[in-house]
Amino acid sequence: MTPGIKLGLGAAIIAGATLYMAYVGAATSWKYYVTADECLADPPRFEGSRVRVSGVVVPGTLRIAAQRDRASFGLRGQTGQLDVVCQGPLPDNLDESMEVVVEGRCEPGGRIVGDKVLTRCASKYEPDPAAGARPRGERPGGSGPAEENEA
Amino acid sequence: MRIVGELCLLTAFVGSGFAAFVFTIPWQRRHRAMQVGAAAAALTAVLALTGAMAILAWALTTKDYRFAYVAQYSSRLLPWQYSLSALWVGQAGSLLLWAWLLGVLSLGLGWSSRQAAGLRAPAFGVLMGCLCFLSVILVFAADPMAGGDAVRQQGAGLSPLLQHPAMLIHPPVIFLGYALWTVPFALAVAALVRGTVGAEWIRHARPWALAAWAVLGVGILLGAQWAYEELGWGGYWAWDPVENGSLLPWLTGTALIHGMMAWQHRRILKRSTLVLAFATFGLCNFATFLTRSGLFSSLHAFSQSPIGWLFLGLMLAVGIGGAVLLARHWQALAADRAIGSVLSREAGVVMASLALSLLAATVLVGTLSSALSSILLGRAILVGPAFYNQVLIPTGLALLLSTAAVPLLRWGTGPSPAQRRGLLVSAFTGAAAAAAAWVGGIDEPVALAVGGLAVAAVAALAASIVIDARRQAPASAGQHALVSWPVFAVLRVQRAKYASFVVHLGFVCLALGVTGSSVGKQEKGFVFTEGQTVQWAGRQIRLARAVQRVLPDKLVGEVQLDVVSRDGTRIRLVPAQHFHRLQEQWTTELAIHSTWRGDFCAILHSGDLDGRLYVTLVENPLMFWMWAGGGIMFVGAAARLWPTRRRKSAHGHRECKATPGQRGEQAVSPACAAHPHLQISGFSKKRTPADKAASGR
Repeated sequence: MTPGIKLGLGAAIIAGATLYMAYVGAATSWKYYVTADECLADPPRFEGSRVRVSGVVVPGTLRIAAQRDRASFGLRGQTGQLDVVCQGPLPDNLDESMEVVVEGRCEPGGRIVGDKVLTRCASKYEPDPAAGARPRGERPGGSGPAEENEA
Repeated sequence: MRIVGELCLLTAFVGSGFAAFVFTIPWQRRHRAMQVGAAAAALTAVLALTGAMAILAWALTTKDYRFAYVAQYSSRLLPWQYSLSALWVGQAGSLLLWAWLLGVLSLGLGWSSRQAAGLRAPAFGVLMGCLCFLSVILVFAADPMAGGDAVRQQGAGLSPLLQHPAMLIHPPVIFLGYALWTVPFALAVAALVRGTVGAEWIRHARPWALAAWAVLGVGILLGAQWAYEELGWGGYWAWDPVENGSLLPWLTGTALIHGMMAWQHRRILKRSTLVLAFATFGLCNFATFLTRSGLFSSLHAFSQSPIGWLFLGLMLAVGIGGAVLLARHWQALAADRAIGSVLSREAGVVMASLALSLLAATVLVGTLSSALSSILLGRAILVGPAFYNQVLIPTGLALLLSTAAVPLLRWGTGPSPAQRRGLLVSAFTGAAAAAAAWVGGIDEPVALAVGGLAVAAVAALAASIVIDARRQAPASAGQHALVSWPVFAVLRVQRAKYASFVVHLGFVCLALGVTGSSVGKQEKGFVFTEGQTVQWAGRQIRLARAVQRVLPDKLVGEVQLDVVSRDGTRIRLVPAQHFHRLQEQWTTELAIHSTWRGDFCAILHSGDLDGRLYVTLVENPLMFWMWAGGGIMFVGAAARLWPTRRRKSAHGHRECKATPGQRGEQAVSPACAAHPHLQISGFSKKRTPADKAASGR
């Protein structure tokens, strides 16, 4: 067996292992990526599936637990809104009227039980910020330590 | 000032366009006057971009809100350093920075590659073409000099999340990396256009590629550092499309550098090396396409603008043009030799390049999964981090295996008996280390494999130094006392080789850090009251007090945590919440205590009216090794790039530099290639008239 053939066999093993692991990773982590409107249009299609839903947090619906590990809010599209309950660490800039992406599972009735909320990281190249900021200094869903825990 | 800035951009567009036209069209290049005019136009274009950069920087630091860009990204309360960093935070500013860097590097190529007269002109033309492309966007699509709607007294300010030291330099470093990768691409195109598909273009492209690789790597790590502290709170990589966008050219670029070595040393992997040169440049533009097309779901805020599609057009042009050029020279680019042995260095390079290419392909497919599934299945499907992490296991282990073995492998043939013994010893040492770790309680197979390979890599490097030192010992006799010590002599004489191995050592440290922080990370949330103590992860943590401070631009709420470790070490962590008045936004400020064993982090979430404070504690093992690995890789690359001092021989003429390839068949320069007897340092050389003619002296 020439060195080239031996090397080809080694390459095939690495490539095969990579493909297999990619398959395993994809099978365990894939999810539908839909807008709130797409989810509202055909809820049975997504029931029980992992989804990543994008929409806008409806003003007046955002409730955040004091420990900032749980939130509930309405996720608005063009045609209606979904109820979202999310358990997990919440980003700093989660706010009302903000475009967010929720990762979780779609339950009967179109309710989203999420384990992650993603806000755009306010990074470079961002479009104009959404309007509708809350009153100055109030921590969303709870109170900041600065106000309640004075030394 | 705005009008002057607009004129600068227009000048850059016209100047770079004219230079690109002259230098890329062969019949134009023959006219001396045209060449001089084009060179002057290129210089003018770069000076004009420098002027535009200076104008925008001045406007940002003086808060001149007549510029729409300044109004959008600066504010009265913003410190000057962050005002300046706003230069590359916005779309138009970042493109201006990229264009300016590319212009400066183009002049650098023109100045540094005078010996490559044949390649210089077409390569310079390609670079000017790229500069013209960016200038077109700056003039017509993303104008940083655009005026605001009204005169304002206050700007919108920089996002608080971007007000971090790493963000001061992360974007420009990334763009410098992208600009540097353009140079190897331009030289590859020049070589194919001229039909000179020997290794000459690599001799000129390799230093640029190595610099690009090191700079882009540092940029990626700076981004990870920022995410670790500002966004991920102990997580540094989320496989987000933007992160993937910068990682992709780094992966293919790493494979490209290895392919260049195989081409130079063994005349193999020519086609794949050229494909990688095109792919790396294309992927730099793909990263920009990702951030501007609005096609991809990302944590990062994207604008949907036509700019992304312009970059897609550029990528298509590069792909089609590259395919045509490669097809024209397909036969000439066949490998000259077969693989010498499965235990040769070229075999290691092939395996490493394969692993890197597979990883890059997987990351690309994962990043494009929603777009691809929409086209193929009619519904958008995303893959999660598990997809990437699973693939990282076989490819990462293959890379570590190659890295561990390569110091004891030779080009073109199998290892010598001494090297075989070294391989056995290092393999045994690695296996023993993995067994010891298992006995010590680590039962994660991936962690054991990575740990064992890391130890084997260090042992192989040590064995390589010892073997080379033994070989070097007679040669070093009679030199300076310190230098004559064989190990130092080896490191001095074979600096290039060992600098590369230092880069590999950095990669091993990086792999250890990534594995440790992935496998061993633990975190737990606590509800504290002032004075309360909890026990966790072998530490005693007491919340001493909560403090409020009022600063001009923000309110700060922080808690002081006194931590006593198992070994009695006492530290204080002060996690905080900041409220930024202008943006009316809270940010979480992580507190980190970092040691070589790992990071211990505290995150303050919030408090309530009953005085309860919600804090999460995180233990991230071996994080230090990830950052240190990045630093070591950069130092190794810098040492590899450091110019070699040329010594004068007894006859007064400069010697050709000897390289590790001198014992093989590597040609260092055309003159040396034509006259192999000149390659050996210290060898008595009596030059013939033909030699003098060849070297021009």
